[in-house]
Amino acid sequence: MVLGTYKDAICARATDKSIQKVSQDGGIVTALLSYALDEKIIEGAVVAGPTEEMFKPEPLVALTSDEIISAAGTKYTFSPNVWALKLAVRQYGLEKVGTVAIPCQLMGIRKMQSYPFSTRFLADKIKFVVGIFCMENFPYASLETFINEKMHSSMDMTLKMDIGKGKFWAYTDEEELSIPLKETHGYEQAGCNICKDYTAELSDVSTGSVGAPDGWSTVLSRTENGKSIFDKAVEAGLIETKPMDSVKPGLGILEKLSDGKKTKAVDEIKKRVEMGLPVPF
Amino acid sequence: MSEKIVISPTSRQEGHAELVMEVDDEGIVTKGRYFSITPVRGLEKMVTGKAPETAPVFCQRICGVCPVPHTLASVEAIDDSLDVDLPKSAKLLRELTLSASNLNSHAIHHFLIATDIVPEELFATAVNSVGEIRKTAQYVVDMVAGEGIHPSDVRVGGMARNISELARRKLYTRLKALVPKVNAHVDLILDLVEKKGFPKGLGVVNQPLFASANIYGDRNFFDLDRFTEIMPESWYDDPEVGKRACTTIPLFDGVNVEAGPRARAAKFRGFTEKGVIAQHVSRALEMKTYLSRAIEILDELDTSAPTLADVDFRGTNKLGVGAIEAPRGLDVHLAQVVDGKVGFYSALVPTTWNIPTMGTATEGFHHEWGAHVIRAYDPCLSCATHVMVVDDEDKSVVKDEMVRI
Ligand SMILES: Cc1cc2nc3c(=O)[nH]c(=O)nc-3n(C[C@H](O)[C@H](O)[C@H](O)COP(=O)(O)OP(=O)(O)OC[C@H]3O[C@@H](n4cnc5c(N)ncnc54)[C@H](O)[C@@H]3O)c2cc1C
Ligand code: SF4
Ligand SMILES: [Fe+2]
Repeated sequence: MVLGTYKDAICARATDKSIQKVSQDGGIVTALLSYALDEKIIEGAVVAGPTEEMFKPEPLVALTSDEIISAAGTKYTFSPNVWALKLAVRQYGLEKVGTVAIPCQLMGIRKMQSYPFSTRFLADKIKFVVGIFCMENFPYASLETFINEKMHSSMDMTLKMDIGKGKFWAYTDEEELSIPLKETHGYEQAGCNICKDYTAELSDVSTGSVGAPDGWSTVLSRTENGKSIFDKAVEAGLIETKPMDSVKPGLGILEKLSDGKKTKAVDEIKKRVEMGLPVPF
Repeated sequence: MSEKIVISPTSRQEGHAELVMEVDDEGIVTKGRYFSITPVRGLEKMVTGKAPETAPVFCQRICGVCPVPHTLASVEAIDDSLDVDLPKSAKLLRELTLSASNLNSHAIHHFLIATDIVPEELFATAVNSVGEIRKTAQYVVDMVAGEGIHPSDVRVGGMARNISELARRKLYTRLKALVPKVNAHVDLILDLVEKKGFPKGLGVVNQPLFASANIYGDRNFFDLDRFTEIMPESWYDDPEVGKRACTTIPLFDGVNVEAGPRARAAKFRGFTEKGVIAQHVSRALEMKTYLSRAIEILDELDTSAPTLADVDFRGTNKLGVGAIEAPRGLDVHLAQVVDGKVGFYSALVPTTWNIPTMGTATEGFHHEWGAHVIRAYDPCLSCATHVMVVDDEDKSVVKDEMVRI
């Protein structure tokens, strides 16, 4: 299945205006983790928290909704959230942990849960993982190149970055800057070119912008647990939904992109194998 | 006519050791010799020449029973050599780690002696009680020091990080809830030890008390000038034993000593009993000491305070001493950092101190009690072993170059 296993596909967004204001898309990640925290399904969540430097995240063990909200918005560079999971169950003392992860991080998490080397008593404490769609990720220096050199702006001026409609966008107070996505090619980390998972297939719930209208998200409920948390958050009025087939552009585009990513990755893997390079799959 | 009774290896203890008893016609032990037959640990040699931060990481692996005390003794030796001033919170977190770990370790010993003292109908109760105490105690070590067995977050200069308020409150609540369980456990053990009917006077020795502190350990107690170490050949008057024994004999003020729970209780808690029963009683009671200290620390801990000092790893050439009161006695590590590397390292571990004392403690009673006397000390041999078997054929120890300071 090109989108992995899922129970429901739905278009959704957080109803809370304060989440909408800071979130990347429909604020689904922030709303779900906050809901899980309020309902004591989790005691805290590892998120990509802010640092002194704009758009340079650092894993944060968030113990309050405010901390979860402080991490809203996509940072298109690495935040080693998996690393902080152990911290969360050790010095932070969490016994029920939630987190947000891109697909490759999810592979790490699920593998770690199956083979808990150096992660004693961690596997069973991970109670809720929200996955986010991911086509590629960039070293921070790449982002600096896009913003400073290609768009002639600066990190400090940038309020939000986004990828969509074939472009890499940077929003400032006054302008909507963009460069064609093609111009970012080669600046992504090399591993992304052999990554076959676009839609975070190993998550409890996964979400991204593709398929949904602006300000909304596409949500795939995958596990029993994930579906139950999502459904309850909808019931509680924290998330509003629209049927996927009622919105444009709809699930088709997501399937197309996911399929494309898999095909390209398989080709690249073949190429690397032929050159004698190691590939993890 | 004297006969020799040999128990090899002595059982329900960590590592391998042998008890050789000479007995008279009535089976009464006239001479007891106890010695380690576990091969060399060698870790001191491994850390020499390495970066100072390596020492605690390697040396915590000296023993699987006392990884926490060895981590702490090692890190304290390096701290001392580097002249680090530890932040207050780091000291508290280290002491909390040790208190919880020692509580856990004493519980394990009750598991080891269960078949000696626990009747069939109470067996499940006793073993479950051990399990429950261990689970909570190890949870504390996990959270505070990163890992329950080989803690990753005890660092040169302090602790990697403080615990969160949530963690502090959780641990406090759980340890408070553990108090009645530990009290009941201690009562059970005391009762069973009494009912076992150990002969009066069994295992009594009159050696100096080798204990540095009530709970954590005090490096000032360990005066290097009062310490000597001799080879087993010159200690055991049986050449066969002397040849095969794998530990050196450490002496303080020229004599062998007693270390461990009873020594601490006698020196710091006004405990006056001696012998096998006293070992068991003091060990059980000490569980309460550790638990209440752990609770006290969690009460006063400032979770927002820093836990790691700035460290200059180049070193001052000073011989650093780490002295930690491990469950079985004082664990001393000595380290000297020279030009940013470990120049010298030596560990004088708990059971090594007790080995020469334990054998003689079997004397004067029937040899049937011999193994009980040994187990009362809860010996742990693998960390104690200090010299190398060089001839595999006859297991003789012929080189002593690993023991010189
Ligand atoms: C590198 C990257 C590439 C992406 N590519 C696509 C794509 O091709 N198509 C698509 O539809 N969606 C993509 N997304 C997802 C999208 O940008 C949004 O993150 C997603 O839709 C969630 O939005 P939201 O409003 O629900 O989340 P919000 O409520 O805004 O919360 C976002 C959450 O993501 C976490 N986060 C932010 N940056 C990172 C990071 N670098 N690593 C791990 N976690 C992070 C934050 O901690 C926060 O909790 C990508 C995300 C990333 C990080
Ligand atoms: S494309 Fe794959 S490997 Fe690259 S960041 Fe996204 S999930 Fe990770
Ligand atoms: Fe040991």
